[in-house]
Amino acid sequence: MIRFDGVSFTYTGAARPALDSISATFGPGVVHLVTGPLGAGCSTLLLAAAGLAPHITGGRLSGIVSALGNVPSSADGRRALAGRIGLLLPTPWTQLSGMASTVADEVAFGPANHGWPRTRIADAVSRAMDRVGIVHLETRQPETLSGGELQRVILAGVMAMDPEVYLLDEPALELDPAGAEALYRLLPELAREATVVVASTDVDRLLEVTGRVWLLREGRCVAHGSPDAVLGTEDAVAARCSGTTAEIARSAGLPPPFPVTVEAAIGRLRR
Amino acid sequence: MNVGYVAGRGPLHRSHPFTPLTLAATFAILAFVLPAPGGAAALCALALALALFEGVGGVLKSALLTVLPFWIFLFVIHAVIRGSPVTALDVASRITAIVIVFLTVLASVQPARLVDAMVDRGLPFSVAYLFAATLQAVPRLRQRAKDILDAQRCRGLAVRGSPWRRARALVPLAMPLILGALAEVDERSLALEARGAAYVVRRTPLHPPADAGREKMLRWGMLLLAVGSIVVKIAV
Amino acid sequence: MTPRLLALIPLAVGINLALGQLAAATALPLFLDTVGTVLVACLTGLVPAVITGAVSQVVMTVVSGNATWLAFLPVQLAIAAYAALAARYGMFGSTTRAALAGLGLGLAAATLSWPISYLAFGGVTAGGVTVVTTVLTGMGVPLKWAVYAASLSNDLLDKTVTFLLVRAVLAGLPRRAAARFPPVERALGRT
Repeated sequence: MIRFDGVSFTYTGAARPALDSISATFGPGVVHLVTGPLGAGCSTLLLAAAGLAPHITGGRLSGIVSALGNVPSSADGRRALAGRIGLLLPTPWTQLSGMASTVADEVAFGPANHGWPRTRIADAVSRAMDRVGIVHLETRQPETLSGGELQRVILAGVMAMDPEVYLLDEPALELDPAGAEALYRLLPELAREATVVVASTDVDRLLEVTGRVWLLREGRCVAHGSPDAVLGTEDAVAARCSGTTAEIARSAGLPPPFPVTVEAAIGRLRR
Repeated sequence: MNVGYVAGRGPLHRSHPFTPLTLAATFAILAFVLPAPGGAAALCALALALALFEGVGGVLKSALLTVLPFWIFLFVIHAVIRGSPVTALDVASRITAIVIVFLTVLASVQPARLVDAMVDRGLPFSVAYLFAATLQAVPRLRQRAKDILDAQRCRGLAVRGSPWRRARALVPLAMPLILGALAEVDERSLALEARGAAYVVRRTPLHPPADAGREKMLRWGMLLLAVGSIVVKIAV
Repeated sequence: MTPRLLALIPLAVGINLALGQLAAATALPLFLDTVGTVLVACLTGLVPAVITGAVSQVVMTVVSGNATWLAFLPVQLAIAAYAALAARYGMFGSTTRAALAGLGLGLAAATLSWPISYLAFGGVTAGGVTVVTTVLTGMGVPLKWAVYAASLSNDLLDKTVTFLLVRAVLAGLPRRAAARFPPVERALGRT
């Protein structure tokens, strides 16, 4: 469970805040999608939730972020949360540990840092590699992988730590459409026990697995709720934050709220 | 020139990574301490035998390429100009012995195993990490330097001409490399923090190398030999 | 150690070892193998710079396979300390100041590396520097001084260019990036 209570955040030297008075609650059970146009603050929201903004990025935070009952912006909070929050960033190359000579060791980087016994690490690593579908890469050198392979390796590294919160920033940026869909199908499974928050503009594909949408614009949360309610509005579609289906429906002259999934669109057209 | 680990099954390959390292250190110390010129020359022969016995004779070529400039200059400066061929021979064999043993050890110790051994022995995580991560960063940045050079040449950057002009050409070559590396720092530290690198109390070694009791004794023996030889040298 | 330093130091050492390639392309007698170390001194301060210097010399030795380089480890450490001091006193504030501090570093580096190469390796080091030593000895200059002169001829230029390059990087650092490394302001003499 992650809670934002009137949270604002400004990067050092930036003219306007990246997050502006955000109040939100993310809990397990459904996959949360945080989306919005470029510069909306989706990535920053994940960094603040993980306690890395401002700790690593610099900048100024006001308001209260709490994660699993701790305050990630404090040193004690981060210590208590170490290993319990999994964060995936969009570019896989810069997330490589630099310490592993095989994919299996790369996936084991986090668990080993937490000092788990070797048998537990081995179990967690093979389970994570299996779920993400990278068992065949086990003995490969991480630097020789493609971007898509690497992105799955890093995700497996996050999953191997078995976190209670998943913060995923464009987790399928380097994947082909089929790979992206396979990865997204994992999310509802993870959300059964953990809090899963995805920041992405890949709305079309994510709609199928998303339970709750948070629409951000210029650091403010402008709408939240079910995908239909948030992404079917004239506002969301006009700002190009919604999916292709809703955009087509709008250009076809349908009145709002626009259908966001193909099934809904067919239903509307049949009526 | 090929430097680094070569797969093999020799005794140094199979031993705990600290053993070859201790061997290299002992050799380096002995090369300076043993009486010249016979001591260093004997070490040279020993180093040669070691490389061949380990099955990494390929390192001898790299060793030759490394020591050849030394030999030439030592010969010219000490034997020809200063008329002291013994000095030339002494220094040359000292350098040669050290270089051969070092290359043999590099060819026998897999960096990943060494890192695991460091973690296993409770060395600080940051020491093991910096060693491993730097070894991976170097080829990456060298490749990037090459890419930048190619790209800037394509865009017409002249790296020829007067020394002043060439010095100025350094700026468009070096700046992208340096600024690009600095731009990576934030993202890399985010990832490291998220993956628990900030909270390592005691990292689990993933494949701790085996260390036999007699190997430990061998290492202590070598250390004793090195220290003893220094003591004798000072005393005599 | 903070993740920030864990991320920065390997990249700085990478810069140390990659810049030589670019220098070689210009056919200038430069190594530039301490630019990363000097940069870390300006960005973060003394301790990280010394660590960068140590890691750099060890990894350079491992990557090149030339064991004799490890003997020059003290020189790298001294360079790191000197650069941190220069940064603290704002010596990167102008091109002139940087050049002067670079010359000073060249003098210090040569003075330190000279006894190492003279005592341990008979005055011979890998690289073109030894040509100078050879010519001077041939002209009758005592070996000791020939080695020192050769070291100076190399280090004065190399370290001056190093400092100028680092000054250019610091001055050209985007504001947001500079804000992430507070000591930069001091190195540039702005505080």
